Amino acid sequence: MAKKQKVQFRIQRFNPDIDDEPTYVTFKVPYSDRQGVLDALHYIFQNLDSTLAYRWNCRTGQCGSCAIDINGIPGLACRTVVDPSKQYTLEPLFNFPIIRDLVVDLGPGFRRLEKLRPYLERTSAPDRPEKLTREEISAAMELRSCIECFSCYAACPAVASAKQEFPGPIAMRELASFEFDPRDQGDRVQLAVTSGLYDCTSCGICKEVCIPKHIDTRRTAVEGLRALAVERGMGPLEGHQGFIKQIESTGYAVDVKSTPLTDQLPDVIDVDDPVDEVLFYPGCLINLRIQQVGLNVVEVLKRNKVRVHIPKDFVCCTSVAFRTGARAIASEMVIQNTDYFRKLGVNKVVGLCPGCMSTIKQDWPIILHEKDKPPYDFEPFDINEYLVDQLGFERFNQQDLKPLPIRVVYHDPCHLNRHQGISEEPRKLLRMIPKIEFIDVEDSDRCCGAGGGVRAGRRELSQEIARIKYEILSEVKPDVIATSCSFCFIQLVDVVKNSNSDIRVMNITDLLAASYRGESLK
Amino acid sequence: MTFEIIDTDVLVVGAGGAGCRAAIASSEADLDITVITKDILGKAHTVMAEGGINAALANLDPDDLCEIHGRDTCSAGAFLNNQNLVEILVEDAPKRVYDLENFGAIFSRTPDGLIMQRPFGHQTYRRTCYAGDRTGHEVLATLTEELRRREINIIDEVFATSLLTKETRVVGISVVDIRTGNFKVFRAPSVIMAAGGAGRIYDVTTNAQADVGSGYALAYKAGVELIDMEQFQFHPTGAAIPPAARGRLVTEGVRGEGGILLNKVGERFMIRYNPRSMELAGRDEVARSIATEIREGRGTENEAVYLDVSFLPTKIIEERLPTMLEDFLDIGIDIRNEPMEVTPTAHHVMGGIKIDASAATNLPGLYAAGEVAGGVHGGNRLGGNALAAGQVFGKIAGGSAAKYAATAQSPSLNRRAINEEYERVMAPLQREDGLSPSMETKQLQRVMWDRAGLFRNEQDLNAALQFINDHQKQITSQLAVRNKATRYNTEWINALELQDMLLVAEMFVRSALLRKESRGAHYRTDYPSLDNKNWFTNIMVAKHNGKMTLQNTSVVVTKWPPPWT
Ligand SMILES: Cc1cc2nc3c(=O)[nH]c(=O)nc-3n(C[C@H](O)[C@H](O)[C@H](O)COP(=O)(O)OP(=O)(O)OC[C@H]3O[C@@H](n4cnc5c(N)ncnc54)[C@H](O)[C@@H]3O)c2cc1C
Ligand code: SF4
Ligand code: SF4
Ligand code: FES
Repeated sequence: MAKKQKVQFRIQRFNPDIDDEPTYVTFKVPYSDRQGVLDALHYIFQNLDSTLAYRWNCRTGQCGSCAIDINGIPGLACRTVVDPSKQYTLEPLFNFPIIRDLVVDLGPGFRRLEKLRPYLERTSAPDRPEKLTREEISAAMELRSCIECFSCYAACPAVASAKQEFPGPIAMRELASFEFDPRDQGDRVQLAVTSGLYDCTSCGICKEVCIPKHIDTRRTAVEGLRALAVERGMGPLEGHQGFIKQIESTGYAVDVKSTPLTDQLPDVIDVDDPVDEVLFYPGCLINLRIQQVGLNVVEVLKRNKVRVHIPKDFVCCTSVAFRTGARAIASEMVIQNTDYFRKLGVNKVVGLCPGCMSTIKQDWPIILHEKDKPPYDFEPFDINEYLVDQLGFERFNQQDLKPLPIRVVYHDPCHLNRHQGISEEPRKLLRMIPKIEFIDVEDSDRCCGAGGGVRAGRRELSQEIARIKYEILSEVKPDVIATSCSFCFIQLVDVVKNSNSDIRVMNITDLLAASYRGESLK
Repeated sequence: MTFEIIDTDVLVVGAGGAGCRAAIASSEADLDITVITKDILGKAHTVMAEGGINAALANLDPDDLCEIHGRDTCSAGAFLNNQNLVEILVEDAPKRVYDLENFGAIFSRTPDGLIMQRPFGHQTYRRTCYAGDRTGHEVLATLTEELRRREINIIDEVFATSLLTKETRVVGISVVDIRTGNFKVFRAPSVIMAAGGAGRIYDVTTNAQADVGSGYALAYKAGVELIDMEQFQFHPTGAAIPPAARGRLVTEGVRGEGGILLNKVGERFMIRYNPRSMELAGRDEVARSIATEIREGRGTENEAVYLDVSFLPTKIIEERLPTMLEDFLDIGIDIRNEPMEVTPTAHHVMGGIKIDASAATNLPGLYAAGEVAGGVHGGNRLGGNALAAGQVFGKIAGGSAAKYAATAQSPSLNRRAINEEYERVMAPLQREDGLSPSMETKQLQRVMWDRAGLFRNEQDLNAALQFINDHQKQITSQLAVRNKATRYNTEWINALELQDMLLVAEMFVRSALLRKESRGAHYRTDYPSLDNKNWFTNIMVAKHNGKMTLQNTSVVVTKWPPPWT
């Protein structure tokens, strides 16, 4: 008989009564068909070590008892199928005190939730039967399906850094479930604003880890409540007002400090025998603050024989308005942009900033629909996605890339990785540069704290989240931190500067352009 | 020995649907209420109920009446039900559903905006109110919110080990605080037992891990009477894999949509058992047919048969069975392309602590509600009646317990008994070497599955009883926990649970041995038919002079006389 395949589980052990600090113990568990992580824990408990403490009850993803960190990501042990080709590290849920081994005290999470009057508030009970339409209740019903597993809370970068202040995605979801309940009379929006509604960086990990119920807390709860906060004059924060005002008066989220990119370039950048034709959407930051990043994008496109249109009269994508709830101004700009692009007649729009591109991909269509406008008639692409998937690897100009013998670590922008599902493409591009030493770290997809208006509105929190990210990235001693987002870029530049480090921050296209130009970055 | 004593007026054991509802009712009085739960608030087994909660609201079928709900309940229960309790159940259920709405629950709606009701097996009308496919979750989440509103004191992860009595009344309970391992005593004039069911006594079950039946065992040890303990419901289809989720409910809807059952060799075997109704035959019959296939060697490697919907149009599967599709996809099985593997699975205890119309037991100060209480469902439970019974009798128990606590003399403790209990609880932890709780538990589950499950007969039941009695002796003197830490020591808790499980198993088996007929969910291969002449009677279990004693008592009939009388 063939020897049974074994899977390795490295498990964090800690008994606060006797241990000073956690240790790790590795167990080998025979693999069986469709085995779950909970099966493996049972096997260890019953056959190898009955001192292992872990929590479970329903074993069917319905009670939320068994949430633990599985290879660094919170998840339900009973709903995670073991992949026999992998090794596993199991740790207690992050952001909670440990009772023992994999068992945490959820008390702090529950206590924060309990403070938010988490129950239906109405002054008097109605006559029965009470009529409620399906439409009225559908939003609240979906949000009520939460099983309080606290995976989202454990994964949330804002919870980790805001310490006592932010009750987490689970709590925002709870407040939204009442706000969207037609029966509730409590002032949930006010409560949300004072309880950290603007602490959310819109990183989106809360949805990713909500395997049990797929609740999109960021979009449904946080952005839903923010929109109501703005409507009722309670938001956005002071730090955001400037951006909103700026958009209202100039069409851009930031003011002009140096020659805009659109003024530095012609309407169309021609190449011989073009293989394709695109419109480059720079977004406010690239256009008005970090023009070199935009020039590098254009250079990379040019080297790949792509004819590039520069939209001289584009306006802000209003990502910041969507993320902070200021939807009125957002509608205006969306319509202005889409009308303008239609006039230019280009059918591919490429951008670097994933904040812009995810807004164009996901939010613009909703506004157009709401305003009875026809859908836009171009295809939006992130630059990495465009180069790798659209232009295609075969056609990509590799021969002109010159060696860049540097050590690079990559930071996944949340709006690229989670909101657009693009994580492989930038890595492929990096690996294409000759002599580059690319290090992929485990927490590459952890939020840098810039998004969701947190950088503008909650500066300290934003910097604290960035500091944690910087520690993760700098630990591997890179020459360059690579990313692909103008927002992450300025955030990381700041944290590097504050840490007196000489690590450089560059976008993927900056690196490609440097490689084409044969620059030395040492 | 010293131990912490915590005083409270009403102590609720268990935070499922019944316990939470009881606590809310008690809190109407100006009293100190404490709820303890072995798991965490909001995570009790009640969250797993998917189908719904019965109440004759007549939102869809205007002819439905409480009367008819009662008749359906008794007819499903083979008329073993205590009809006093059934009357209360059916009359109060609509009010309790509206209570839930008042507390904040949102049920699915009819196109007119009323609470939606689905048809459920053996019910004359569409009566089962639901919230999508997570009714139990909606119910428990709502009650949790209401407990939070009322700031009721809930203590998570505390394991009740015994009911404390003095001079034939209840005076509190002893517990182990799972998080610290400390032995403590709660002193209370009234206690509400709402510790749920006992599916874990069987090898394959739909139940959560907490459902080991401690509620029945604690009651029995304190001299409380239990009833109908031979009536245990098996569901025909539980998932066979993955191992940790073995037995998880696969809804009847799968067969309702046209799913077919196949054995190992691909034969649609229901043709041999019930060619007319095939897969849509009654629950018990389908369960026994599947079990027979497996027993006779025509099951799969995983001791299961196939349940196949893959021949149905993909769209139907996606639209009508979305949850099943997703659940199986999660474990790597795409039911659009391949069959599920299913096995009968232990589901529900119909019997339990005997209660009267005020949810009182025969022990003054002790009340019971929810699955731990018996008498309402008789020989078989209607789908949707368990959640309803939990709400109805939970509220009654809470009210009665509060009333009793308000007037009862303050309780005093029997230290000698507490010391003995302390010794019993600590023994497996102190013993250096001996039997392993998890291995012993597995053995018991297997024996119960094989000998006292779907098919019963004198010989098997005797063998099971023999096993139980042998093990009871061994276990008190030989069970040893290898894990010596007191903090969150689940092996130790398992050792204590095993002792409870053996007692409950004994009640099941002795009652099943006594009932020499087949009625409700109780099926004897040696007495395969109904015997109204000799066995139209309830079986009561209680401890007398230290011995488990069984007694027949007459069935309470009020409005719904059985057809044979
Ligand atoms: C998969 C499934 C689906 C179901 N679907 C339906 C349905 O659709 N409709 C319906 O009506 N019924 C359904 N049922 C049955 C129903 O869910 C249960 O009967 C009901 O929820 C039991 O509620 P309860 O409050 O009595 O107990 P539970 O919810 O089981 O709660 C018991 C509580 O007691 C605690 N406890 C137990 N022992 C101890 C101890 N020693 N010390 C301290 N605390 C203890 C537990 O921690 C828990 O908090 C279903 C059952 C299953 C298994
Ligand atoms: S989107 Fe990110 S920051 Fe916002 S609540 Fe979710 S996890 Fe937290
Ligand atoms: S929202 Fe999702 S991840 Fe967060 S606690 Fe609820 S079920 Fe878990
Ligand atoms: S054990 Fe209940 S969700 Fe995993």
